[in-house]
Amino acid sequence: MNSWFDNALTRAEAIDDWLHEKRAASLALLRDTDWPTRQTEAWKYTSLKKLEQLDFSAGTPAPSINAHSISDLNSINLVFIDGVLQSIPADLPEGLTIMPLAQVPDEHQPWVLDQFAGVKPPQHLFGLINDTLATDGLVIDIAPHVDLKHPIHIIQTMTAGNEAHCRTLVRVGAGARVTVIEHLTGDQESFNTNFTEYSLATKAELEHYRLALQSDAALTIGGSHFNLDTQATLNSTIVGYGSDLARIDVDISHQGEGTLAKLDAIYLLDKQTHFDLHSNIEHTAPNGTSDERVRGIVAGKARAVFNGRIHIHRYAQKTSAELNNRNLLLSRDAEVDVKPELEIYADDVSCAHGATIAEIDQLALYYLRSRGIGLEQAHLMLNFGFINELIDQIPNAVLADWLRQQLSGRFTRMNTIKHSGQEMAQ
Amino acid sequence: MTDQIQKAISREYEAGFTSSIESNTFEPGLDEEVIARLSAIKGEPQWMLDWRLKAFASWKKMPEPHWAHIDYPKIDFQAISYYSSPKSMDDKPKSLDEIDPELLATYEKLGIPLLEQQMLAGVAVDAVFDSVSVVTTFREKLKEAGVIFCSISEAIKEYPELVQKYLGSVVPRTDNYYAALNSAVFTDGSFVYVPKGVRCPMELSTYFRINEQNTGQFERTLVIADEGSHVSYLEGCSAPQRDENQLHAAVVELVALDDAQIKYSTVQNWYPGDEQGRGGIYNFVTKRAMCHKNAKVSWTQVETGSAITWKYPSCILRGDNSVGEFYSVALTRGRQQADTGTKMIHLGKNTRSTIISKGISAAQSNNSYRGLVKMMPTAEGARNYTQCDSLLIGDQCGAHTFPYIESRNPTAIVEHEATTSKVSDDQLFLCQQRGINSEKAVSMIVNGFCKEVFKQLPMEFAVEAGKLLEISLEGSVG
Repeated sequence: MNSWFDNALTRAEAIDDWLHEKRAASLALLRDTDWPTRQTEAWKYTSLKKLEQLDFSAGTPAPSINAHSISDLNSINLVFIDGVLQSIPADLPEGLTIMPLAQVPDEHQPWVLDQFAGVKPPQHLFGLINDTLATDGLVIDIAPHVDLKHPIHIIQTMTAGNEAHCRTLVRVGAGARVTVIEHLTGDQESFNTNFTEYSLATKAELEHYRLALQSDAALTIGGSHFNLDTQATLNSTIVGYGSDLARIDVDISHQGEGTLAKLDAIYLLDKQTHFDLHSNIEHTAPNGTSDERVRGIVAGKARAVFNGRIHIHRYAQKTSAELNNRNLLLSRDAEVDVKPELEIYADDVSCAHGATIAEIDQLALYYLRSRGIGLEQAHLMLNFGFINELIDQIPNAVLADWLRQQLSGRFTRMNTIKHSGQEMAQ
Repeated sequence: MTDQIQKAISREYEAGFTSSIESNTFEPGLDEEVIARLSAIKGEPQWMLDWRLKAFASWKKMPEPHWAHIDYPKIDFQAISYYSSPKSMDDKPKSLDEIDPELLATYEKLGIPLLEQQMLAGVAVDAVFDSVSVVTTFREKLKEAGVIFCSISEAIKEYPELVQKYLGSVVPRTDNYYAALNSAVFTDGSFVYVPKGVRCPMELSTYFRINEQNTGQFERTLVIADEGSHVSYLEGCSAPQRDENQLHAAVVELVALDDAQIKYSTVQNWYPGDEQGRGGIYNFVTKRAMCHKNAKVSWTQVETGSAITWKYPSCILRGDNSVGEFYSVALTRGRQQADTGTKMIHLGKNTRSTIISKGISAAQSNNSYRGLVKMMPTAEGARNYTQCDSLLIGDQCGAHTFPYIESRNPTAIVEHEATTSKVSDDQLFLCQQRGINSEKAVSMIVNGFCKEVFKQLPMEFAVEAGKLLEISLEGSVG
């Protein structure tokens, strides 16, 4: 054990609110869980050392922050600074209810109690920690058959010397359509855990983004977890920059028949950043489809970890599941560790996964240079093209444009030209 | 369809007979004294006993590994007898004529053409029958070429400098739980040394068979291919049918020095247990090769037997330009569980590795591929290609893939692909349209599925493997 964890347990014991029973159950599980070591499979490539030494007990008051709203997105903005919700907009569209986790009205409590720690699988250590510590957060309810035109944009910013634990629950009613953007920022020394649980009723459609744009000294561990009922559709995009410690768990559970889930993920790492993405897709019902594409560019002294599991249960016949992970490794000091997993118990399925790790194709580089494009420009074109393929498919054009801008800024920072790959002999 | 599956599953184990040969077996149990007795019976030098005891000391401190995707009751290591030798072998025979005729009959039933092989196939067989190397044929002919092919016990006495130099150099005695156990109690196995620049004049072969009840088979194989040499080694395994589970924990070490080539082929057909999952061999094997400069090691395996298979033939590609290959077909049926795959550790420049794994699961079995491809920072320009395909037959089985890929060099290229599907209805339909019955069609499709691996096997083995697969799949699709 370590001081951070001991301290967290003590803090958890002191919390007594309307979610008390749920929290107590998770706390009991937590006490039976060993703190991960390199031998713990789920933490094989990610060290928690930086977190173990953390002590933010003093706390620092938050300076004034500009909310990172995205112009032209026409979104409903919900801003958290160091885990504290600033405000909920007053005039919400019909069929949309948003409430702080701490103040859920009686009529909503039953389903919230059901969904809290009900979508997220119990094996996530930090999910359990979040269960016990997250007093801040949001509960969002979209009534059946509501087609919400405005994306819900949840912005979470962390400032230096702070720790926060947030939980968001989203219920999408039958046949409803909605876009939710989870947007995390901050690069100062801080720590947050951030878990979101989604339940999609029959024929519900969710367009989901998790923009994990925290970097450098901001430690962050979190997850997005989805339950899909019959014919529900999920289209999710994840973008990560990595930081001293960044870990995201995505769980998609196909519980109804004929569900469709698309998951795209992009990570762009440089300096000494670390990014660990664990995705787990469970097919428990027949005729489900999942399609997962993960692209990563890893430079500097960064380390990318990707674990993509597809689990097809006995009765999930006629499932089609695909996973594709491609990595560009740009530096001699960087490292990529991937583990795509298939666990299949039904015979009439079509499943495949693929993974590659390499540097930029020297021939492609040569081709561009032979047409008069400078080395730096050629690198940038190829790197950008590598991930732009996924960005091009983002349904929200405003968001796609904004992301392209953000990522190109990141590319400038990465200064990929300095990578140590040899130039082709001329 | 279900009936036919049932029929296929309930097919009796064809190599499941017991030979009533008088044997000299230790009481179950394991401690320092047992190891000392075992070492004394084998007339081993002190250094060997010390080595065994050191391995035993570390084994006692090691936890049993549980990471594999297999499920079995706890093994009681004190309930196993660690030595069993056919009694009539006390005076070692000089030729085949001196061998117990019943033993020869056993081999005949197994279909090892021990006598025929001498004339027809030109294969030298070092048959291991319950831990003591019974007969080694073609020794003389190999000697002419300078190739040493003998049991490891003999090598310990006659070539101690080679054994001391290489034993444990690829699989250290503390490598893992089962390797440590093997290091402490290994009873016999084969030893091969191919001198510099020699191309071994024939394919070498061992046949393992566990005969006694409650005995563990702990064989140790050491193959050393000196600079520029070439050797192909075949290994086949079977065991009689019994209700108890038997433990098999082998270690195989291959050393391919500069420019050497080793081809190691295995057809494993241990008793898989009955349809309720009673009995069968627990097969926990550590196989690893060290590849020096420009060396090439190729592992080919056809795994159809054992209740549990835990086996990861690996290559450490240490020398520049060295090549590692792994071709595997693993078939599970009944309640068999296989967790098998490979590790390719790339250290040298321009090292290359190819992994082709075909898993077929039928009935209530589980078949997993588990592999590691690791590109170290020194592996400049290294290349790996991995393909794992799984075929599911029936809706009660499982097929799993757990590949670990770690890269720390940007100039290295790693590619991994895996697919899972069932025997395609379209393919079946096409065959049936052309008058091929469904059973034959499935056999054809499965054989085609495994072709890439079978073509790597030496001729005789490829035929045997194809046949083995055909029999195992008999009637599994209607």
